[in-house]
Amino acid sequence: MSLSPLVRKIFLVDLIKGLKVTFNYQPPSEAITEQYPLERPVIFERYRGQPRLKVDPDSGASMCIVCNLCALACPEQLIVVKGERNPVTKRKEPVSWVYDLSRCMFCGLCAEACSTDALELTQDYEMALYSREGMVLDQAALERGQEPVRYVK
Amino acid sequence: MSERTDYLDLDTKDETFLDATELVLNMGPQHPSTHGVLRVILKLDGEKVLGTECVIGYLHRGVEKIAENRTYAMFNPYVDRMDYVAAVSNGLGYCEAVEKLQNVEAPPRAQYIRVILTELCRIASHQVWLGTHALDIGALTPLFYCFRDREEILKIFEKYCGARLTTHAFRIGGCIYETYDGFEQDCLKFCDAFLPKLDEYEELLTTNRIWVRRTRGVGILKPEDCIALGVTGPVLRASGVKWDLRKAQPYECYNKFDFEIPTGLNGDTYDRYLVRIEEMRQAVRIIRQAVDGLPQGPIMAKIPKVLKPPVGEIYHSIEAPKGELGYFIVSDGSTQPYRVRVRPPSFVNLQALDKMVRGLLVADVVAVIGTLDIVLGEVDR
Amino acid sequence: MLDAITNYLYSSATPGEAGSMFWATIYILLITIGVSLAVICMNWLERKILAHMQVRLGPMRVGPHGLLQPFADALKLLIKEDIIPQDSDKLVFWSAPVVVTMTAFTTFLVVPFGREHAVTDMNIGILFMLGVSSLGVLGIIMAGWSSNSHYPLMGSLRSSAQMVSYEVAMGLAIVCAVLMTSLQTGTGTLSMIGIVESQAQQHTWFIFKFFPLGFLAFAIFAIAMVAETNRAPFDLPEAESELVAGFHTEYSGFRWSLFFLAEYAAMLAVSSIAVTLWLGGWLRPFPNWLSGAAWDTAFSLVPALTMFVLAGLCLLGVVRMPKIPQMKAQTLGLLIFGLLLGFVGLVLLVPGVRERVQDIFWFVAKVAFFMYLYIWYRGTFPRYRFDQLMKVGWKILLPTGLGVLIATALWGLLPQLSSAVFGLLGVGGVLP
Repeated sequence: MSLSPLVRKIFLVDLIKGLKVTFNYQPPSEAITEQYPLERPVIFERYRGQPRLKVDPDSGASMCIVCNLCALACPEQLIVVKGERNPVTKRKEPVSWVYDLSRCMFCGLCAEACSTDALELTQDYEMALYSREGMVLDQAALERGQEPVRYVK
Repeated sequence: MSERTDYLDLDTKDETFLDATELVLNMGPQHPSTHGVLRVILKLDGEKVLGTECVIGYLHRGVEKIAENRTYAMFNPYVDRMDYVAAVSNGLGYCEAVEKLQNVEAPPRAQYIRVILTELCRIASHQVWLGTHALDIGALTPLFYCFRDREEILKIFEKYCGARLTTHAFRIGGCIYETYDGFEQDCLKFCDAFLPKLDEYEELLTTNRIWVRRTRGVGILKPEDCIALGVTGPVLRASGVKWDLRKAQPYECYNKFDFEIPTGLNGDTYDRYLVRIEEMRQAVRIIRQAVDGLPQGPIMAKIPKVLKPPVGEIYHSIEAPKGELGYFIVSDGSTQPYRVRVRPPSFVNLQALDKMVRGLLVADVVAVIGTLDIVLGEVDR
Repeated sequence: MLDAITNYLYSSATPGEAGSMFWATIYILLITIGVSLAVICMNWLERKILAHMQVRLGPMRVGPHGLLQPFADALKLLIKEDIIPQDSDKLVFWSAPVVVTMTAFTTFLVVPFGREHAVTDMNIGILFMLGVSSLGVLGIIMAGWSSNSHYPLMGSLRSSAQMVSYEVAMGLAIVCAVLMTSLQTGTGTLSMIGIVESQAQQHTWFIFKFFPLGFLAFAIFAIAMVAETNRAPFDLPEAESELVAGFHTEYSGFRWSLFFLAEYAAMLAVSSIAVTLWLGGWLRPFPNWLSGAAWDTAFSLVPALTMFVLAGLCLLGVVRMPKIPQMKAQTLGLLIFGLLLGFVGLVLLVPGVRERVQDIFWFVAKVAFFMYLYIWYRGTFPRYRFDQLMKVGWKILLPTGLGVLIATALWGLLPQLSSAVFGLLGVGGVLP
C-alpha cells in the first residue's frame, strides 16, 4: 500500500498498524504463560540442576570411588569427600560426603570431572528450603535426590 | 563512612553555569529504568539536564580478583555472570583469550558451534534491550513479545549446555558438549519463526509517530565523540563509524560468513534502534550460513589437563552484543592467572551518558540510558 | 407518596424533570453502584485484555480466570495502613481524593442511559458535565500540593496542565456537536437527552453527519478524552518509569483506591459524552434503515443474546478447566457464574423487560467499546513526552478543532447561505 507520507500522517496509518499487531495477539491460544505449579515446564536432558550421587542399582553401593577429582575441579571448593579403602572389594568407599549447595553455581565442572560418572547434575530445580543448614547436603541427601515440595494442597 | 560529595562540586567541573536555581536530582540505585543498580545524579535546570554523574559499584563482586585465585578452567563459569544477559559471548571472549595465550586454536566444528551460539546470544541480548527500552519509553507490549522469542533461544541453550542464563557453554580449547540431536533443525526453525516476528516489532515501533518523536534527535553522539570516549558496539555504528570487530579483526570463523554491518546516520536513539534491529537480521543470516556449513570433526583441541599457559600477556577482544568486550590476561606460568582484566563495553559506553544528555529533558535521560544498553553486571563486575 | 410513585412511573420524564426526589435518589444510588461495579469490571477487563495483548494470561488464580481479583485488590487496599506524610496539609490531603471522586461521580447526574433514564435532564447538560469534570483538576492540584513533597507537586502540576490543555480541544469538539443539533429545528440544545433526540430526528448519528466533519470532531474528542483522563499514550505524569511519580505518590490504601476509582469513573464519564454526542446515545443501530416492528424485536433480543454469549464463554471455560482436584472450587465457581449470566439472559428475554432494557443496553455497549479502546491504546502505544504532549494538544488539536467548527458552521448554514448568495446575485442583476 503505497500512500503518500502526508496521507499516512493524517490518517494515522502507523498507529493503526500498531493497533492491528496487538489486536491479533489477543486470542488465548497465543498466550505463552506456563501456569506453574499447575503446569510444570519441560526440562531438557542436559540441564544442570540438583546434584545427585549415583548408586549402583544391583549392589546398592555408591558409585563414588573417592578420587577427589570433583573437589579439585570445583571453583568454589564446596565438595569435601573422605573415604577409606574397603578391604573386601578393594575399592575406596566414601565415608563422608559434603556438598554445600548454597555456594554452588551449577557450573557442572564437578560432574564433568567425575571419573566414574557417579556425580551428576539432574533436572531438579525445586531446591528451595526454609533454612540454610538444609543446603549442606550429605551423602544420604545426595543419593536420595530432591523431593519436590508440594505447593498446592 | 561519610558520603562523598566532591563530585557534586560544580564549579570545578563546568564553569559555564553559576545558576543557583539548579536542582540536583538523584535517580537512585533502585529505579525501574536504570537497568540494574545504577545511580545517576542529575543536575537540572527546571526540566533541562545540565550534567550527570554516574555512581556505580553497587554490583561489584570482585570478579577480577576472584580470577587470580582460580585456575583458568575454573574461572570460566564466573565470566558468564558479568554480562548476565548475554552470557555466551562472555564465555567466548574468555576462552578465545586463553586459547590465544596458550597458542591453540579450536577445531573448525567447535568454531562453527561457537559462532551459532554467540549469534543466538546476540539476538537474545538485543531482545532484552528492545523490550526494556520500549518499556522505558512507554510501550508495554514489546517487552513480552521479545521475551517470548528469547524463550526459544534459551530453550536451545538449555538443550545444548544445560543452563539458560549462565550457560558455561564453551571450554578452553573448544566445546565440551556435542550438538544434540535436532540442534540444526531447532536453529533453523527459530530463524524462520523469528524474522516475521521482527517485522511485527518494526510495525509496532519503527514508523510509530510517538516512537519516532521520542527517539529521533534524542541523545545524539557525534562520531568524533564516540571515538574519543572509546564507545564501541551499536552505539558507535549508529553514529556512522563502520567498525565491527567481526569484520575488522575477524575471530573464530567469522571471515567465512557473508554478512553486513549496519550503520546509522545521525547517532541518535532512533538510529541505534534501527542498527540493533538490523543486527538481529544479520545475526539470523550468519546462523543460517553457519548451520548449513557445519563441518564434522572434533570439538576440542589438545589441551593439557592442567593448563599452564606460557608466561606473557594478551589482550583479546570480541564483538559482544553490547560492544567490544576485551580480556587482558597476564600469565605467570602457573595454573592461575596473575591478572585478568575485563574491558566491559557497558562501562565504557556509560561514560558517553554525560555527553548525550546535556540539554535534554528528564524524560529523555531514561530513554538514553536504555539506548546505551548497559548491564550493571558488566559495568561493576 | 404512592401517588407520586405511580405518577412518575407512568410519565415519560426523568425523575429530575418530574420533580420526584425519591426516584432521583433511587437513580443516584443505582448509578453510584453501577459505576462502581463498572469500575470493578474495568479493572478485571483491563488486566485480562492487556495481558492477552501481551501474550500472557493475566490473573488466573484468585477466582476462576481471575474473576475475583478486583475484589482481592479492593480488600487489600482497604486493609492497608493509612500513611499520611508528616508535614502534609492534613485537611487538603484528606479532601483531595474526595473532591476528585465526587466530581467524577457528579458528572453522571446528566448522563442519559435512555430516554427517561437519566437522573435529571438539565437544559445545560453537556456544559454541566464539562464544568464538573474540570473541577476534578482542582482535586489533583490539591493532592500534589498537600503531599508536601517535590515530586508529587511537579507531577500534579504537569497532570493538571495536560488536562486543562486538552479540555480546550474537547470543548471545541463539543461545540461542533452542539452546533449540529440546531440544524433540523433551528434551535440547538445543550441538554444531553436533547442532543440524542436531535440525532434521532435528523436520522443520522453525528459522527456521520457532514462527513468527514462529524468524524473529525469525534476523532478530536476521542484523542482529547484519552489525554484528559491521563491514560496512555498521554500518561507521562503517572508513568512508573519516570522520575516524577505522579500526584498520588504519597497516597496509599483506601485513599489511592479513591483516585483509581475517580480515574475510571472519569473515563466512563467522557466516554458517555462521546457516545451521547456522536454515537447516538441509547439509539439502537440503524433505526431508520432497518425499521419496523420485526427489526425492533430482533434488536431487542440482542441484550439477551449478549448475556447468552457470555454465559457460553463461561461454560466453555468450565469445560476447559484442568480436571484436577485443586481446581474444583474454581470450576464450580465459574459454572455458577455462567449459569447466573444465563439466567440474566433469560430474564432479558421477557418482553416487558426487553423494551425497558433496550436503551440502557445500547448505551452501555457503546461505552464498553470505548473502554476497550482505552485498554487497546494502553497496550500498543509508547508514551508522549510532556512537551510533545502539550504540542499535540495546542498545535494540532486546537487548530483542527477550530477548523472543523468553522467548516461545520458553514456547511450547516449552506442552505441559507446559498439562497442568500443567489438572492444577492439576482438583486445585483448578475443572474437573470
